[in-house]
Amino acid sequence: MMARAGSVWFWLSAAMLVVLAVFLVYPLFNIVTGSFGTGSRSGWSVLLAEPRYLQAVTNTVMLGIAVTATTVVIAVPLAYVAARYDFPGKSVVAILPLITLVIPEVISAQTWLMMLGNNGVFTRYLADHGIDLPSFYGWPGLIIALTFSYYTYVYIGTVAAIRGFDSQLEEAAQSLGTSPVASRLRVMLPVIMPAVLASALLVFTLVVGNFATATILGGRVPLLSVLTYQAAVAESGADPVMQSTLASVSIGLVMLVLFVQRWIVSRGRHEVVQGRGAKAARMRGLSGLGIGVAAGIIVVISLLPLATLVAGAFTRARGPVMRWGDWTTANLERLFNNAPEPLFNSLVYAGTATVVSIAFSTLVSYLIVKKRNLLTPALDYITALPLALSGTAIGIGLVMSFNAGWLPLTGTAGIIVLAYIVRRLPFGIRNASSTLYNVPNSIEEASISLGVPPVSSFLRVVLPLMAPAIAAAAVLTWTTTVAELSASIIVYSGGRETLPIQIYKLIDSGLMAQASAYGLVLIVVILLPIIVATRVFRIDLFSSRA
Amino acid sequence: MTEQTTRRALLGGLALTAAAPRLARAQSGAVVIYTPNSAQAVDAVKEVVERARPPLRINTITGGSAQLLRRIAAEASRPQADLFWSSSANTLGDFRSLYQAYRSPEAAAIPDSLRQPEDLWTATNIHVVVAMLNRNQLRGTAAPRSWADLLDPAWKGRIIIADPQNSSTGYTILWGVSKLLGEDGLRRLAANLRVSSSASAVLRGVAQGEYAVGLTFESNAYGYVAGGQREIQLVYPSDGTFISPEFQALVKDAPAGATARRAFDMLLSKPVQTALLEAAYRRPSRSDIDVAKLVDLPAMSGIRVFPTDETEAAAKRAEFLAQWQQIVAAVN
Repeated sequence: MMARAGSVWFWLSAAMLVVLAVFLVYPLFNIVTGSFGTGSRSGWSVLLAEPRYLQAVTNTVMLGIAVTATTVVIAVPLAYVAARYDFPGKSVVAILPLITLVIPEVISAQTWLMMLGNNGVFTRYLADHGIDLPSFYGWPGLIIALTFSYYTYVYIGTVAAIRGFDSQLEEAAQSLGTSPVASRLRVMLPVIMPAVLASALLVFTLVVGNFATATILGGRVPLLSVLTYQAAVAESGADPVMQSTLASVSIGLVMLVLFVQRWIVSRGRHEVVQGRGAKAARMRGLSGLGIGVAAGIIVVISLLPLATLVAGAFTRARGPVMRWGDWTTANLERLFNNAPEPLFNSLVYAGTATVVSIAFSTLVSYLIVKKRNLLTPALDYITALPLALSGTAIGIGLVMSFNAGWLPLTGTAGIIVLAYIVRRLPFGIRNASSTLYNVPNSIEEASISLGVPPVSSFLRVVLPLMAPAIAAAAVLTWTTTVAELSASIIVYSGGRETLPIQIYKLIDSGLMAQASAYGLVLIVVILLPIIVATRVFRIDLFSSRA
Repeated sequence: MTEQTTRRALLGGLALTAAAPRLARAQSGAVVIYTPNSAQAVDAVKEVVERARPPLRINTITGGSAQLLRRIAAEASRPQADLFWSSSANTLGDFRSLYQAYRSPEAAAIPDSLRQPEDLWTATNIHVVVAMLNRNQLRGTAAPRSWADLLDPAWKGRIIIADPQNSSTGYTILWGVSKLLGEDGLRRLAANLRVSSSASAVLRGVAQGEYAVGLTFESNAYGYVAGGQREIQLVYPSDGTFISPEFQALVKDAPAGATARRAFDMLLSKPVQTALLEAAYRRPSRSDIDVAKLVDLPAMSGIRVFPTDETEAAAKRAEFLAQWQQIVAAVN
C-alpha cells in the first residue's frame, strides 16, 4: 500500500532521510570526491593505467562469487537441518556457528595455517606419506578460510526464513500430488529465496571488504581490499587519492550486485499469510545419522579457531612465545586486574549502538516495506550504501566529516558508536525487512479499518508481530557490533579501545596469549545475551519450535 | 556521554571551543601519544612514566605511521595528539608542518648524527636489520651468514619480507640490498622472496615454521629468542646490514601544553630507553646505555653496518618501487 505525500509516514521518511544524509551520504560524498584527486592526477586514470589494479578488481569479483557460492552450499542445507530436524546436540549445532562471527579473523587464518600451511599438521603428515599438497596461500586458503568465516551469515538468514515459512503450503503441494522433496523445493525455495539472497549478498560484500584474512593468506593474489587498505594506511607513501578511487570501485561493484539482487527479489515477491511453521522432525536411521554427522563436521571445522583461542587464553607465554601445554590463568588475571577498560568500553558503545540501530532500522524498514511513498526508494538505497563501504572507508569518511565544524565528534565515544551504527545499518534493515515481508498487510489494514490510527496500529499490531524478529535482530546486531573492528579502529581515540581493537593491537605485537584472553572475554560477552535470550526469555532465535 | 564531554559541549556553546578542552586536558596531566609502536613497547614506557612524580598519564592511539600522521594533519584545526612516537625520518619528513620544534635537555646524550638540525624530531632508537632464522626449517640447507648466501636458489619460497609498498621495514631492507649487491643481487633475492602485505605476519610466519627466514628488524625478532623459542636465531649478515633510526616529534599546538614537553623529555630519558631495551629490545639512541650488558644483543660496535643514504632512499622511492615491481613480475 502506498502512503500519501503529507501523511505522517511521509514526514517520518523525510526526517530519516535527513539523518542519513548527514551521517552517511555526506561522509560518502567526501570519500568519492577524493578519488578525483587534486590537480592533474585523477585516481581513475591511474586505475586504468596500472594492470595490477584491474587484476585486483577481477580477482575480487571472482573470490566474491566463489565464496558466496561455497557459503550457500554449506549454510543452506545446515540451516534446513537445524530448522526442521531434531537430533542429539542440536542446540549446540544451532548456536555454535555464531561464534565464527566473532573469532578474530587473524586467529582463524593462523589456525588454518597450523593445519594446512607450509608447516601445517596435515601438510607435514601428507608430505611424510608422499603427498605434496599445493600451497595453501592464494586461492585455496582464501576460499576455504573465508567460507568458514562467513557461512554463518547465510546460515542465520536462512534459518530465520525457513522458520517463517508456512508448512501448510508444503502440505498443500504434497496433497496435490508432488513428492515431498519436490514440493519442498518448489514451494519453499521461492519463499526463502529473498533471505538467502540477502545474506549471500552480505557475504559477497564481506569478501569484497575483507582485509584481515586476505592479507595473511592472499599470497600472490592481488585483491581490491588489500590494495585499498595499503593505500589508506601504508606506513609510508600512503595514497589518499587511490584509497578513495579503489573504495569507489568497490562501491560500484557492490551496487551492481545490489541491483541484481533487487531485480531477482522483485520478480517474485511472496507474502506469507501468518500460518504455522513446521514441526521439527526427529531424525531416524542411517540417513538421519548421516545428516547429523555432516552438520557436525561443518560445525567442528568452523570451531577449530575457537579451540586455538581458548587454548591460547590459558597458555603461559613469554613475550610472543607460547608455551603450549603449560597452562595458566595469568592471562585472564592480568586482563581483569590491570586492563579491563576495553571490556567496559565495548559494553557501553556496542550496547548504545544496538539500541539506536534497532530502533532506527525497524522504523526505516517499516517505512520501506509497508509505507512506500515518494521518499522510500531513496531510503531503501541509502540504507544499503554501507554494504558497499569497507569499514576502513566508513571510518575515514566519518573522521573527514566530523573532525571539526558544527559537529566535532573526533576524540569522543560518539564517533565510535556512530561508526558501529553506520556499519551495521544494512544488516539491521535487511533483517527487519525480510521479517516485514512475511507480516501480511491485511492484519494492519484490519486494525486501521477498525478505527485505530496508523501510528498506533503500527505500535500495537505490527510491532508485536515483529517482536521476536526484533529481539533476534537485536542479539545479532549486538554480536556483530561488539566484534566490529575495521571502522572503529580508524575513529577511536586514546583510552577508548574496545575488545576487538585491543585484540588487534596485541596480535599485531605478537602477544597471542593476551590477545586470546581478550578474545575469550569477547566471546563470552557475545554469547551471554544469546543464552539469556534463548534460555531466560525463551526467545526463539535460531531454531524452529512451532 | 561522560560528564567531562557534556561540560565541554556547554563551554563550546559559550564560544570557548578553542581553550576549554585544552585546559581540561592540561590540568588532568594526561598526554595523548599517537604511536605505531607495539603493545610491549607502549607498556614498557607507561610503566616508567606513570611512576614519575608528579604522575603523568599516557593514552595511546595506535596504527600505521602514515595513517596516524594523516590523522594529525586532519585534526590540525583541533589537535588531539600531543606526541608522535616514533617513525623513520623519511616518513616524518612528509608531514613537516605538523611538528613543533623542540630541543629536549635529554638530547645532550644523543649523538648529533641522530638529531634533526631544526629539532623538529629527535631519535628514540635505532633499528638494525636481521635475518630471523627458524633452524627447524633449514632442511639440509646451511644456515645463511650473509646477504649473498640468501641468493642461493635453495631458498626459493622460504624467505618472507613485508611489502616495501606499505612497510618501511621492507623498503629499508630492499633498498639496502640493491645498494649492497646491485640490481642483479636484488633480482636474485626477489626470486627467493615471498612478500607479505602484513608486517607482523613475517614474524609469525617464521616462528610458526611457515618460512625458514624472515627479513625484519632485530627488535621485532628478538622477542622470540628472549621468549625461549630455541630454534629461532638472529643473523646479522656478515657482508653488512642496514640500520634505520626512529624519531619522535612534538605535535604543534599540543593540547597538553607543558605536560607534552615533559612527556617528550621522559621518552628520551635513560630509564625509559633502558626499559624499552629490556622489554621491547629497542636499541637506544642514547650513547650512555650498554646494550650487551642488559640484553643478549650484540653491541653496535660488533655489527658490520653497510651505510645507506636515507634521504636518497626517500627521494627515489617511487622510482625504486616501480623497479621493484618490474623485478617481481619478471621473476615470478
